[in-house]
Amino acid sequence: MASEDKHNLVEPGINLNAPTCPNREQRAHGINVWYGQATQLVKEAKEGKLQAKDRDFQQTSGCALNFYLAVRLNTIRDAAVIYHAPVGCSASSLGYRELYRHVPVSLGRPEKYDLHWITTNIQENDVVYGAGNKLRYAIREAERRYSPKAIFILASCTSGVIGEDIEGAVNELQPYIDAKIVPVHCKGVRSRLVQTGYDAFWHGVLKYLVRKPQKKQKDLINVASMLSYTWQDRLEIKRILGKVGLRPNFVPEFASVDQFEQLSEAAVTAPLCPTYTDYLSKGLEQEYGVPYFLYPSPMGIRNTDEWLRKIGEFTGKENEVEQLIEEEHKNWQPKIDALREQFLKIKGNGEKITVLGSLGQGRLLAQLPFFDEIGLDSPAAMSQDFDNLILDEVEELINTVGDFKILVNTFQAAEQAHITRQLDPDIALTCPFQGGSYKREKGLTRIHSLRADALPRSAQSGYAGAVACATFLLQSLHSKSFQKTMLSKTQDSYKDWWYKQPNPLHYLKKEV
Amino acid sequence: MAAKTAAKTAANIEENAAANIPDNIRNNIVSKTEEVIFPEVMEAPRYSCALAGAYSTAIGIYGAVPILHSGLGCGIGQLFGQFYAGGQNAGGPQGGTSTPCSGLVEEHVIFGGEDKLRRLIKSSIELMQGDIYTVLSGCVPSLTGDDVESVVKEFRNEAPIIYVKSAGFLGNSYEGYELFFEAVIEQLLIKRPIQKGLVNIFGVVPYQHIWWKGNLKAVKEVLQKLGLNVNIIFTEFEGLQNLIKIPAAELNIVLSPWNGQRAAKKLQEKFGTPFITLPGVPVGPKQTSRLLRDVSAALHLPAESVEDLIAREERSSYRFEEYLGDVMILAFPQPYFSVVADSGTAIGITQFLANEVGYLPDKVVIADGAPEEVRDQIVRELTDNVECVIKPEVIFEEDSHRIRENLKRGNSLVLLASSLENPIASEFGAVIHITISFPSFDRLILDHNYAGYRGGLALMEDIVSKYCGPL
Repeated sequence: MASEDKHNLVEPGINLNAPTCPNREQRAHGINVWYGQATQLVKEAKEGKLQAKDRDFQQTSGCALNFYLAVRLNTIRDAAVIYHAPVGCSASSLGYRELYRHVPVSLGRPEKYDLHWITTNIQENDVVYGAGNKLRYAIREAERRYSPKAIFILASCTSGVIGEDIEGAVNELQPYIDAKIVPVHCKGVRSRLVQTGYDAFWHGVLKYLVRKPQKKQKDLINVASMLSYTWQDRLEIKRILGKVGLRPNFVPEFASVDQFEQLSEAAVTAPLCPTYTDYLSKGLEQEYGVPYFLYPSPMGIRNTDEWLRKIGEFTGKENEVEQLIEEEHKNWQPKIDALREQFLKIKGNGEKITVLGSLGQGRLLAQLPFFDEIGLDSPAAMSQDFDNLILDEVEELINTVGDFKILVNTFQAAEQAHITRQLDPDIALTCPFQGGSYKREKGLTRIHSLRADALPRSAQSGYAGAVACATFLLQSLHSKSFQKTMLSKTQDSYKDWWYKQPNPLHYLKKEV
Repeated sequence: MAAKTAAKTAANIEENAAANIPDNIRNNIVSKTEEVIFPEVMEAPRYSCALAGAYSTAIGIYGAVPILHSGLGCGIGQLFGQFYAGGQNAGGPQGGTSTPCSGLVEEHVIFGGEDKLRRLIKSSIELMQGDIYTVLSGCVPSLTGDDVESVVKEFRNEAPIIYVKSAGFLGNSYEGYELFFEAVIEQLLIKRPIQKGLVNIFGVVPYQHIWWKGNLKAVKEVLQKLGLNVNIIFTEFEGLQNLIKIPAAELNIVLSPWNGQRAAKKLQEKFGTPFITLPGVPVGPKQTSRLLRDVSAALHLPAESVEDLIAREERSSYRFEEYLGDVMILAFPQPYFSVVADSGTAIGITQFLANEVGYLPDKVVIADGAPEEVRDQIVRELTDNVECVIKPEVIFEEDSHRIRENLKRGNSLVLLASSLENPIASEFGAVIHITISFPSFDRLILDHNYAGYRGGLALMEDIVSKYCGPL
């Protein structure tokens, strides 16, 4: 992370005395929109020129609370979540009881567990008279009902704008509550970037939940795993780490509170998604001396090798890791080679299959080299955001796969539909955050599973995941009937002129 | 556990007696009896907010482009919390991430978001395919006092456009439906000549009533057999035309004890349209015949031909119900069942199972927050109109924790509830759980439904298929 100091492009250190983190915009010059060559993006970033901009046309795309936190924090097993918000802010949390139930007990899901969340259900009179007593009641009620080990309080736009003193309520009640209370300052209006919500959550975890290490656990590897990583990804990571005598500590989803408390005792914090895990990793190093690395993620053969080597360095298992890599390659490399052959044969003229995905920063760094590895070409990448936290890594990526176009666009569906139509890749990788851009003539599949998927075909991490993912992508080329039918038989969201003009950022405000 | 916690709390208080704790807080902690109870503080209530309801209602109307004047997450939140939860449905061409949104941040809280909204409306009309644009303003502009009305008025000459003040804290999804129609009635509708035989259907809330699409289609088909022109407003391509012709109706039909009542009353006040209410979307022959009789009585249709129609339809339905006989009597006769649902769905399903196939009603939990003034009527539908010596215990409860505690006291083999109950149905002794109400993450619902003469057959197919095997 030498370049951070050199360019002063990322705010150094984490201040746990503050009630919350700075926004990504401040902390790392996070931006919400940009389009052009990756080399140019890196150049502008280094010159400190990047800044968030306004659009005249914008589509709903997620806030600090309602993109990730509201959907998944409810899966922390012995905790309770309180939404200090109007009732709609937690509707996305209604899947809580079902999210992990599809995982068979035979694959390691505990048979019995119970999850809890409560809304303070802020109403019109609360907006006038304040909702502080409701929050206090909710905290006591959560304790009475569920006896949780931790209570997370998630703030909202409304609790923020009406000036609710969440910290005050927490400080006042904590002496009388057994559960550790963790306020998370994730009101939607605070930032243009959903990533600010991750940092706000980790800030609360670091400040209120992680305990001083009681012992060092030399075999424990912290892995922060978010919604796009499946149960099979966990099993694969557990398998390969287990072969060299290491154990993953997966947080936050479906973790127990105890697993958060132990974060300080681990040997290293390893990434799945650097942009997601950055704040936690740095905080754990600063406060408890737990080392970390942010690149690479264990996606694809080469990146998994490197990921394991880094972990080997931090745990003194360099030799065991080399042996593991050799063993794994014997099994998996021939399978990847065969898949690569199949992809390269499809067009028949030596041309590669092209693939375009809408990626978070983490997948941007991890998936492009993987596509390269299996013989796919990525003419461009769409990233939901960009910030200086991954500057070095993007440079490294350009060195690996060459220059590419990048559209940073916080899930703006019209822009994504435009660039998908313009670049016309053989496979478009979509997730629900791309509006109607799935309707097309060519290949289409999902970018990743969005649930606690326990099917082997849904894995993407590690060696088994590389083979599963390549197989999955190949399979997507076998039928285009759904997307073609929908293209020809249903209405598009946008008027024709949108696709006839050349600029996906047509509505970017020129002045700031 | 509560007792243990209370004891510990009291001990802590003594330890901290010297601490400077304000009396009101100390009292709240020490004494449960003095604690102010907030019943609306709940686990997982089965609806979203007013903005979500207005948004769903707009999305239900084909060609209506919602424009969210809100934070950026309000639409995504409802994609997960209202559309996926409403039977795993995508948002369609104007919903989900396609929906324009002003994306308010701190600077708009301080300086106002009107200019941002103005630019968004202009660009949305330019870019989005649609027949009418509906500006739905959420919590933030309501708190900061944006003058949404004035901004919207600037575009009145450019395209059909309305605005709905639908701050999330104003109420739940059902409230959002009412707010949407109030806005339509006030801002869009004008008096039109009455079209003989035209009726509007109200009371079915898109996505929140998870069977909305299929139910409306089924209701339309059966009422068409009376020779009526049925305006179901939602789902059909002529969305804007369907809205505009609302005042031309001879009669409004409200298929809920409370949803849509405000719209119907307002239409009566403004345009003189009479309305009738049925307790829910009819499930199976008996309820559907009641709908046909009530509607034809209100429209003074000749009773004889209506009774002929009913006789034909019932004969045909029961002829198919005969095929149910063996498996039901041998595998699953007279089971106790419980229901957790919104008012109309709960009434429709309970009455069908109790009155037509001999199931025994145990508990019926009304989870939609039905207002006090209609609760007696709902209870009457579930007791007086249930032809069984066993009358269900009717519970009005929105808190999923307390709903669970209530169900634990029962012992029903069949649980017709939401997908929230799917993972915990065995706690209540249920061997069959099926999702019939919001949220429905475990059932994809495109146009499946339990409405009309065929609705009861569909319900029995779904219930019995969960249990049947070789006899």
